[in-house]
Amino acid sequence: MTMAFFNFCCFMSSQAFAALAAPDAAAGKTKAQTCFACHGENGMGIEPPIPNLAAQPPLAIFYQLVQFREGMRKGGAMESFAKPLTDNDIRDIAAYFSTLPPPPAKEGDAAKISIGKQIAQQQYCNSCHAPQFQGQKQVSRLAGQSKDYFITQLRNIRSGTRVDMDGTMGSAARGVSDAQIDALAEYAASLP
Amino acid sequence: MKKSSVSLRSQGFSKLLGGLFLAGFVSAVQAQAPAPAPAAAPLPAAAIPPTWAQGRTPDGMNPTLVPNPPGISAMPAADIPIDKLKVPPGFKIEVWATGMPNGRSMTESPSGIIYVGTRFTGNVYAVINKGNTREVKTIAKGLHRPNGVAFANGSLYVAELSRIIRYDNIEQNLDNPPAPVVVFDALPKDEPHGWKFMKLSPDGKYLYFQIGTPANIIVPPYTHAAIVRLNLKTNILDYVAYGVRNSVGMDFQPNTKELWFTNNGRDWVNEDLPNDTLNKLTRVGANYGYPFCHQGDFLDPELGKGRSCDEFEKPMMNLGPHVAALGMRFYTGSSFPAQYKNNIFIAEHGSWNKTKRTGYQVVRVVLDSKGKPTKLEPFVTGWLQGETFWGRPVDVQVIKDGSLLISDDETGAIFRVSATK
Repeated sequence: MTMAFFNFCCFMSSQAFAALAAPDAAAGKTKAQTCFACHGENGMGIEPPIPNLAAQPPLAIFYQLVQFREGMRKGGAMESFAKPLTDNDIRDIAAYFSTLPPPPAKEGDAAKISIGKQIAQQQYCNSCHAPQFQGQKQVSRLAGQSKDYFITQLRNIRSGTRVDMDGTMGSAARGVSDAQIDALAEYAASLP
Repeated sequence: MKKSSVSLRSQGFSKLLGGLFLAGFVSAVQAQAPAPAPAAAPLPAAAIPPTWAQGRTPDGMNPTLVPNPPGISAMPAADIPIDKLKVPPGFKIEVWATGMPNGRSMTESPSGIIYVGTRFTGNVYAVINKGNTREVKTIAKGLHRPNGVAFANGSLYVAELSRIIRYDNIEQNLDNPPAPVVVFDALPKDEPHGWKFMKLSPDGKYLYFQIGTPANIIVPPYTHAAIVRLNLKTNILDYVAYGVRNSVGMDFQPNTKELWFTNNGRDWVNEDLPNDTLNKLTRVGANYGYPFCHQGDFLDPELGKGRSCDEFEKPMMNLGPHVAALGMRFYTGSSFPAQYKNNIFIAEHGSWNKTKRTGYQVVRVVLDSKGKPTKLEPFVTGWLQGETFWGRPVDVQVIKDGSLLISDDETGAIFRVSATK
């Protein structure tokens, strides 16, 4: 089930949908207490390898947490943190982080940022990650993301260590060099 | 046109390399870098996109159109809005089984157990009918895109992304399945369109499955965009159809034993082209046109230049653009009204590459006495409400009692349509 469904339920008055509660960001904050040690109460990773979750699309958080829970994605001991969470817990947690103010844009190496922007255009990154890298639906926000995390993940996707939904992201990553990944990370981090 | 875009692209690439040179952080690139150019120089808009994005023109880019997220969790049975599903008069629909995240392709064993593959969660499920209820067992986990399932000689065959595996004596060991036997593992490992639909031939000798094209629209290697079959006795693979972009549904006509299959049309031409198609294998080795000709009469805007659709087989029927026609079966049961006999049911997973959503339904194809499709009509609708979907049909399966099962990988449920008489 997806957010699309929830969006639908909120427009409908149908009895059929009344049973499903909308995700609850306040409840999510309570359920996310464990997350704060690393991801911060403000959704900002406390160290460079840890991703910023603030303002991620809720569905993007939902997909990653379910994949951690089901052992489909590994890393950062997230499998064990995700293990006890129900789908509704995850929806609430996703709702909490998604409503936080986005990470601030980071200043960086202007030349690298410029190159990163060109690579992003050439690789059509924004066709899924959205024009300002803000993410959409299940596709993660890249704007303001930790460079360190960005680089690790894109390299993992390129190598196949991290498997994406339908092969598109793996295919997109395959033609990108280490240097280009660095530049993309610099560019993404620089976006508000 | 093509030539100029190539030269523009290499020009842009030079500038890019020049930019890297100026930035001075990549020695490997420095060594090959041509004359430096301004770092901030924008890439030309006409740059050739990477493989996965070929076929997307800059003005055809619509960042609000993104593939739908795959179903990854199961909707609780009580939350499934079954009353939204509409069937023709004389039929009813019910929730038959739940709790199968991403449950997709189905097959029924002789004992009546339904096996269900997945594309995204790596699970395979067995659904055991217990009269008024069903028991769902997860019999395999951690497989790589185990979308295809078939049952033969007491064994469950599973098609993963790049190999076929087999669980022997599965029905005696549902609670403790044996380690799978690897049957064939020399299949391409491409992820895009790498998941398989698999079907046992009527004579029980072959497993048929597709090797999809590894992108949206490219000239694929000869190994791809095809339907193949694996001889279960000799383990020899041979190609039966070419030019098939990605078929995720096949069945054999019950009388003629001809192979029929659905095919997913390419994306990013426009909202209304090309159609997904219903096809019949006319001869081994027939070519269905991809990537040059789509739907039998539409030359690819770029790759079709200099080609003719007359080189290729024609589809039996166009099914609509972007509907994502997946699982299909001939109706071989006897509990539906007589006019349904040997009709075709097709599950439409539903569109993403289209502003106004389409599909998200099960359709019925009526055929005349010569086996030619004459009519396409909705059979089950309601997964799509307005522009929002709550479910996505993937496969259909006629079971022994003559009812029709429909899998839905969004809710992780199977629905059952039966005649009310």
